[in-house]
Amino acid sequence: MMIRVKLIANYREALPPEAKHGVVELDVPAGTTVYEAISRFDIPLNDESVIVLNGLTVDMNTPLVEGDMVTAFSAIAGG
Amino acid sequence: MYGWHLRILRVNLTTKKVTTEDVDPKIARDYLGGRGWAIHYLYKEMDPMADALSPENVLIFATGPLTATPAPTGNRYMVVTKSPLTGALAHSNSGGEFPTWMKRTGFDMFIFEGKSPEPVYVFVNEDQVEVRSAAHVWGKDTHETTDILKAETSADARVACIGQAGENLALMAAIMNDKHRAAARSGVGAVMGSKNLKAVVAMGNKNPALHNPEEMRALSVDTSKNVGADVKKGSNMRIYGTSYVPQVTNTLGILPTRNFLQGTFEHVNNIDGDALKNQYLIRHTPCYRCPLSCGRLTEVPDGKYKGKGEGPEYETISSLGTGCGVSDLAALLKANYLCNEYGMDTITTGMTIAAAMEMYEKGYIPESVIGQPLKFGDHDAMIEMIKLMAHREGFGNDLAQGSYRLAEKYGHPEIAVTTRKQEFPGYDPRGSQGMGLLYATSNKGASHMEGDVAYEEVFGVPVKENPLTTEGKPELVKHFEDSFALMDSSGVCVFVGIRYMFNKDRMILPQTLANMMNLSTGAGYTPEEALKAAERVYNLERMFLLKAGSTEDTLPYRMLHEPLPDGPAKGKVVELDKMLPEFYKVRGWDEKGWPTREKLQELGLPN
Repeated sequence: MMIRVKLIANYREALPPEAKHGVVELDVPAGTTVYEAISRFDIPLNDESVIVLNGLTVDMNTPLVEGDMVTAFSAIAGG
Repeated sequence: MYGWHLRILRVNLTTKKVTTEDVDPKIARDYLGGRGWAIHYLYKEMDPMADALSPENVLIFATGPLTATPAPTGNRYMVVTKSPLTGALAHSNSGGEFPTWMKRTGFDMFIFEGKSPEPVYVFVNEDQVEVRSAAHVWGKDTHETTDILKAETSADARVACIGQAGENLALMAAIMNDKHRAAARSGVGAVMGSKNLKAVVAMGNKNPALHNPEEMRALSVDTSKNVGADVKKGSNMRIYGTSYVPQVTNTLGILPTRNFLQGTFEHVNNIDGDALKNQYLIRHTPCYRCPLSCGRLTEVPDGKYKGKGEGPEYETISSLGTGCGVSDLAALLKANYLCNEYGMDTITTGMTIAAAMEMYEKGYIPESVIGQPLKFGDHDAMIEMIKLMAHREGFGNDLAQGSYRLAEKYGHPEIAVTTRKQEFPGYDPRGSQGMGLLYATSNKGASHMEGDVAYEEVFGVPVKENPLTTEGKPELVKHFEDSFALMDSSGVCVFVGIRYMFNKDRMILPQTLANMMNLSTGAGYTPEEALKAAERVYNLERMFLLKAGSTEDTLPYRMLHEPLPDGPAKGKVVELDKMLPEFYKVRGWDEKGWPTREKLQELGLPN
């Protein structure tokens, strides 16, 4: 199934060159979780990152469905 | 005494009398400094019901016990006065260099009273204080004024001044210092204009003596190293300043778009941090002694938006940009430069134009009144409106009153997205419930800087909080309000303060910050005591605004009755009624929001 991953600001460096505006499409097996999808990218998977599914706060073990968007950004800075 | 000079400069602008006075060390400790000292004096010295633009209003510039010390970002001051925009309290914060130079005059605080019959500026070079004519700079913008006043005083001086907007009493007028830094919100520049006070120029060599200079330096170096380590890892604040935030808030569906009609902006990629970095960024520019350096020097090199200056910050992007539906980055930069030059708060400026755009599109304000079309996304019209506002010309006179008075005048108060008549900053509270409670109860009207729980709800700093829930938010908002009052009183910047001077628990505790204040002053605060003093400050501010008649803690119609139509928070309104009664309980206030006698006694405040 196709999902999308969006990385914001400095995390964009972890994306492949075909990404546009920080978004890359991925073909992943059914049952792939938020954690498994974001683990494909070289970003910190601890409290230094905020990871949301379709903009919502969810458990990292939530399974994805077709068309989902996982977004991650660094929590180092704040606003 | 250490850290604080314990000296105040008082200038009566009516009589031109200049006096100095000492501060009682107990008052100094109990009210911390900066914002805390200022409300202590404001509450004592003025009638909260006085007209904010009358000579009865008192204008206070206040530094904290960490200003002009080695503390990283110890470069802040507060402008505290009664706000002509909200009719309640104003306390606006700024950094740059002026606050440090101000403290080096040997005074912690400047108090301006009365009204000069003619334009003046005040030059403070330690104990040499002069009230000088400003006739030659009246009518000039903040950049020209700064250059002229430095040339005629000293290259070593620093300038805080108003532009045309403050002179003309536009209610979104800011006080600009070092050209690009703003004590922006609540119309503090209009108060300065009403006193015919064009500028304050400060210089001196009186750094405050420190209680324990050696340990103070060591702790400051350690804290700076922590910031530096994050910068090395790739801190967005260094790379982008706050301009990376539109992508974050757009993802969460809380990016104010077209006067909060939407929570996502389809053209966000045109005006985000990457677009700015790739097209117009020259370099980052720090405030004095800041290891983070979030300021951006930018330039539009040619074309009709040609200009150079600092910004835009996130809040400018979310108001003059997405708030107005504007996606032309060069035009947005030009609008930002103009606001800095005229001396205007970009949030209230942008969101007032946004409200006018919505009213124009809905037919509530005819083109004949505005003098031209004013559709969302029309960046040239937006720029024209800024010019009219600053000079209060034509329709600009309506705009210069802010969106609340504008919407009310044209019969549609439901269009104004304000609390206490002050425009919302860049976090739509329908998708960030804690921010909704904050905006409703803030002592200065809608403001993220009053207790920015978006740090947890949006940015995961120090821990991630679900922005769509209301549980536990009253306690969190109260805790953040007190924590921000502490930072504003101490003289450090919240950007570094909250991340590097508090611990990493959900209920952040100011361990490093209290330690720094002790090394500076010798006051011996525990972190809990420092927070208790901040709570005292917050409650005294609350008493000021209640006595000013600003008694209603609520949100505008749109936030309570119009669900977000798009994005992750689609269908949500702010569930204020679920949070407000609990908030009053947590605060020790009665069911109407007044501090109880017991709470006032506990804090040592007058009943």
